[in-house]
Amino acid sequence: MPEVIVRYVRTVEAVNRIVGKIAMYLIFVMVGVLLYSAVMRTGFNRPPLWTVEMGQFLLAAYYLLGGAWTLQLGSHVRMDLLYERWAPRRRAFVDTITAFCLIGYLLVLLWGGVSSTSYALEYGQRAATAWRPPLAPIKVVMTLGIFLMLLQAIAFLFRDIAHLRGREI
Amino acid sequence: MSPEFIALTMFATMMVLLLTGQRVFGAIGFIGAVGALLLWGQGGEEIPFNQAFTLMNWYPMLTIPMFVFMGFMFSESGIADDLYRAFHVWFGGVRGGLAIGTIGLMVVISAMNGLSVAGMAIGATVAMPELLRRGYDKIMVTGVIQGGSTLGILIPPSIVLVLYAMIARQPVGQLWLAGVFPGLLLASLMILYIYVRCRLQPELGPPLPAAERDFTLAHKLRMLGAGILPLFIFGAMTGLFLTGVTNLTESSAVGAVAATLAAILRGRMTWTLMENTMRQTLAISSMFLWIILAALCFGAVFDGLGAGRALAATFTETWALSPWQVLVMMQLSYLVMGMFLDDTAMLVIVAPLYVPLVIALGFDPIWYGVLYTITCQIAYITPPFGYNLFLMRAMAPPEVTLPDIYRSILPFVGILVLGLALVTAFPQIALWLPGQMTLR
Repeated sequence: MPEVIVRYVRTVEAVNRIVGKIAMYLIFVMVGVLLYSAVMRTGFNRPPLWTVEMGQFLLAAYYLLGGAWTLQLGSHVRMDLLYERWAPRRRAFVDTITAFCLIGYLLVLLWGGVSSTSYALEYGQRAATAWRPPLAPIKVVMTLGIFLMLLQAIAFLFRDIAHLRGREI
Repeated sequence: MSPEFIALTMFATMMVLLLTGQRVFGAIGFIGAVGALLLWGQGGEEIPFNQAFTLMNWYPMLTIPMFVFMGFMFSESGIADDLYRAFHVWFGGVRGGLAIGTIGLMVVISAMNGLSVAGMAIGATVAMPELLRRGYDKIMVTGVIQGGSTLGILIPPSIVLVLYAMIARQPVGQLWLAGVFPGLLLASLMILYIYVRCRLQPELGPPLPAAERDFTLAHKLRMLGAGILPLFIFGAMTGLFLTGVTNLTESSAVGAVAATLAAILRGRMTWTLMENTMRQTLAISSMFLWIILAALCFGAVFDGLGAGRALAATFTETWALSPWQVLVMMQLSYLVMGMFLDDTAMLVIVAPLYVPLVIALGFDPIWYGVLYTITCQIAYITPPFGYNLFLMRAMAPPEVTLPDIYRSILPFVGILVLGLALVTAFPQIALWLPGQMTLR
């Protein structure tokens, strides 16, 4: 494979690993927000306005930012009725073909994400709730997660092609 | 092209794509996205991304990472090992006693996490080697662990029921209560099966030699103490939820903290353990949530085609089925689909079509949630697509072959189908407890 592609795969996977490891820690932030909410409501009878939405935002950031790394780790299930019986070469071949559906889905997601984010940025969109948080930050994070997922899917495609040509990346 | 034709085409294409072994979320999301683009025209490209907001608004989804974290903390920290040793000593003397103890262990683990992954992990790594070493039949053992671990999604807390609650707009608390007795019923049926089978064929599950279980009562009680800690975890979380001090999601966070504290108290906490738990929590949660995201997109397009109305019309008008016949048809279709389709995706796609029909026919949606969950349990262990089968293949010792795994689940599929029939015939098994108390 050309040097530039090898470098692409290495870079994308390194970046996704770092982003994924950061996302991994968001679980503690979620626990913290939920506990804070529980304590404020029951202990001080002052339920905070923002905890529910904050929790929702964190969860979205958690699985969307963590998605690419989990893809890399091979944690996204496949139906392996046939897949499991195939030799590595055959798997790489079929994956190369069906990569279009994974990449296609992620592209449409990204398309929607970019248009939704640019709308939020342009009009300063806010959630229609008592807390009224601006929606642009979380949309940027979500779209970024989808973008990284797309980069990882393409990196896998390159790996499969390299495998078919007999040179692992 | 009629909407029915499009709906069928979408479904068929999705199945074909799934067969190629592409990742489940990619296959389902792609069909959904293509459907959205082709059928909606202007604005269709927004549909897949907007589902992320639908998902975001399901506040109880926050319980997913919490319960997964709890389960992994519990299995990784080895607290389960202690508990297993206690079951071991107390039940070891009976023929098949260790297998019975394993089911008991699964019930306790199920009460501490909402999926079957943790139960599988503990069963395959802690119980399985022990049972094999004591000369238990490997097919029996494999079946016990796979069948037993499915209880995780029925006995509260249950993530499957949280998801069902979201889709059917039913209270999670009532659904959880409804899962308690069916869960215990299934566990009892499994224990009964093991007991009878080992009576008839003693070579399948030899009793423990006396030397290994002749402890003083004090010692036995001390071992039972190992079970107190998990019960404390469960009590801290469920108690707060039942008494209404914390809501569902807050309770799940308390559970995650309690599990961590338990690991620290036992002196088992290390940085590696924490990191493993966090990584696996992210992996499982992310896998689940991406599948739900993709399935929501597919479901939105599917529903937009009027698939729900078409289905209701087919059942009640074209085929002129009675309500009970419709119900049986639905369960059968779930069982068949569950074999091939990821059950989370199945729930998100099919439940919005079925639940309104169930309510319109006068059935109780809480009860139906339990029926659905038992169907999922069956789907977990039936080939070709079953989570527990995947996990078993990955975790089982080498002497357990794939044909062994497939053969081992047969009696447990039978037990689950029997349980499903019982709960269908006697709805009170599920509905009595939620009738006694109301949870928010």
